[in-house]
Amino acid sequence: MKKLLPITLLLVLAWSPPVFAQQTWPSHITLRTATQVELSSDSLVNRGHPTIISFWATWCKPCNKELDALSELYDEWREETGVRIYAIAVDDSRSQADVVPHANGRGWPFDVLLDSNQELMRALHIFAVPYTLLLDGQGTIVYQHNSYKDGDEDELLEQIKKLAASPNPQ
Amino acid sequence: MKKKSILLLAVGALCIISTTWGQNAGRVSGSVQIEAQTSHRDTAIGSEDVPSRLLLNSYADFRYDNGPFSAGLRFEAYHNPLLGFDPSYKGAGLAHYFFSYQNDQLELTAGHYYEQFGQGLVLRAYEDRLLGLDNALQGVRLKYRPVKGITLTGLIGRQRSAWDFGAGIVRGLDGEMALNSIFSTLSESKTRVNIGLSFVSRFEDDESITSDNPAYMLNLPLNVGAVSARMHMTHGHFSLQAEYAGKGQDPNITNGYIYKYGSAVLLNTQYARPGFSASLRAQRVDNMDFRSVRSRSGDMLHINYIPSIAQPHSYTFFNLYPYATQTNGELGIQGNLYFKLRKGTALGGKYGTDVHLNYTTISSLDTMRIGGRGTDGYTSKPIGSNREHYYTDLSIELSHKFSPTVKAGFCAGYIVFNPIVEGHAGQLHHNWVLATDVTLKLGSRRVLRLEAEWLESDSKYDAVVDDKRCGDWLMEVVEYHFARHFFVQANLQRCYHDGTGNYNQVAVGYTHNASRLQVGYGRQRQGIVCVGGVCREMPASNGLTVSFITSF
Repeated sequence: MKKLLPITLLLVLAWSPPVFAQQTWPSHITLRTATQVELSSDSLVNRGHPTIISFWATWCKPCNKELDALSELYDEWREETGVRIYAIAVDDSRSQADVVPHANGRGWPFDVLLDSNQELMRALHIFAVPYTLLLDGQGTIVYQHNSYKDGDEDELLEQIKKLAASPNPQ
Repeated sequence: MKKKSILLLAVGALCIISTTWGQNAGRVSGSVQIEAQTSHRDTAIGSEDVPSRLLLNSYADFRYDNGPFSAGLRFEAYHNPLLGFDPSYKGAGLAHYFFSYQNDQLELTAGHYYEQFGQGLVLRAYEDRLLGLDNALQGVRLKYRPVKGITLTGLIGRQRSAWDFGAGIVRGLDGEMALNSIFSTLSESKTRVNIGLSFVSRFEDDESITSDNPAYMLNLPLNVGAVSARMHMTHGHFSLQAEYAGKGQDPNITNGYIYKYGSAVLLNTQYARPGFSASLRAQRVDNMDFRSVRSRSGDMLHINYIPSIAQPHSYTFFNLYPYATQTNGELGIQGNLYFKLRKGTALGGKYGTDVHLNYTTISSLDTMRIGGRGTDGYTSKPIGSNREHYYTDLSIELSHKFSPTVKAGFCAGYIVFNPIVEGHAGQLHHNWVLATDVTLKLGSRRVLRLEAEWLESDSKYDAVVDDKRCGDWLMEVVEYHFARHFFVQANLQRCYHDGTGNYNQVAVGYTHNASRLQVGYGRQRQGIVCVGGVCREMPASNGLTVSFITSF
């Protein structure tokens, strides 16, 4: 009976060969805004334009560095490419109350959302923050990277520009 | 095993059925994580040889999504579990599987699932691999959204405990209402209000437990209920969040089999506008350890989660004495102030400076003992003055950008820690901590980060308690990122007074897209590792560590 696991997986894969095609953004997962309004993960897709999703936590130093860097570049990037940034906090109830004061205190201009029991994080198989994803205008994940070091935002910009220049318009 | 196989077949079959349901073939995603460790005897830090030489935890997750259908499974192997993990994890097998159907109104999950009601005071099922915690519920969960703004959740299941399940059955109901979405007259209101109610009940068979007088057996409640009510209100820049939970009579091993009712209150108020925010939190917890098995202590089988009010820190020495939530009694307050010193001012410089001030203080409750097993145990005052000091943290943290290539952080703090929260008697430890780090961008692909930390403590090493954190500490970290994807790091920590050794580590790593490989070598201090106020004792180790994670 132990053989059932690989058999099941093989059956699923054999039945549907295109499944490993480009990753798509999960739908139907409930997030919350800073004012506790529920919204579905689908609504984050920036129809026709790229979206940057950054998973972060208040206690994560590299996350804060990355979001500080994106914060400085946001206006310029938005004007140039129409990109939208969402910072999704994965803080649990210990530090969740700090998310809004923290983001406001640092003056981040983008939307901050809450994934309080890490449901979206799990659906994307993310186990550590910071973790950043770039979605195209249809919700396909075209780039992702884990961790952060200064200068990683340059690579992100390259990817956004590549997306903007791709033959299929966003 | 037979049941597991049937369920696995069901998951597989439903995956295949669902591929034909949607217009496309759906999507398979997954991840693989491997954590390996060796360790040898080192009398200076108290580490021991590992009989099997190599310890290894590995996890493989697969998830299939197609329209409204999702299915997933996780294979885990512990050959043998890493140091600090519960030995009962030893083994390998299918640890987690689920199938779910979801549309705009309905969500049905069968198999394993994670869930949280409100802030978790009466129910939180979650996974934290670093701590080896996974109290997923196995059973059925239904979520129903009859109208916009109302979410009803019902669930039943048993909790995972390594490769087994807790004997108790957990049932839960939760309702949450967003008043502004329900009532059209409030839809444009600047004041937004959400309210919620939860009820959780545990059923566990009777067992033979004596009272303080061995001639009498305790009359144990088979069903133990807990309720909570919560409210979250925002008005412009202001917000107020409150949650109250009460628990019925729940004699268990952690409270000494007393019959006192439990309660918890969390209050949080904040003012937040761009560039400035302030928050104030208060928390009172009384006899709220709630598990699906009354005779279990340790990390497993918690039904609820009491968040720690202590401030999480990112610098190492601020976490040398982490505070673990005292689920059976604590009273704490915390205040935070965040602001940005403006660009162009003397302190703000060219780019501005971020400032964060924090003050936290936590104590025991003011209690009076009235009896032992089989009685109410004690009485407690709502606040009172006869409280034992557990923890204080006063800190200031600054982040400043000097130029496009130079950034720095600084944190200074004073931390008072009572070892009784870790179960050790002794004097309060008073710690002064300074930490700073500088990041230099040397080119488009090269980054150098330097970090230095200092901790001075009045704690004295005691051979009986053998707390190797005692003494005064210095730490230096040098980290160099190069060729876009690689990094090397040296982390040197030493106790320079009342010496309890030095802990030096080196690590190299490779990070690319969704993958990360890290290899380290060195000493790891014995101590407590905490995430979110939940802590695990970590034995000392000296050896190699390998960590690999990727997702697809």
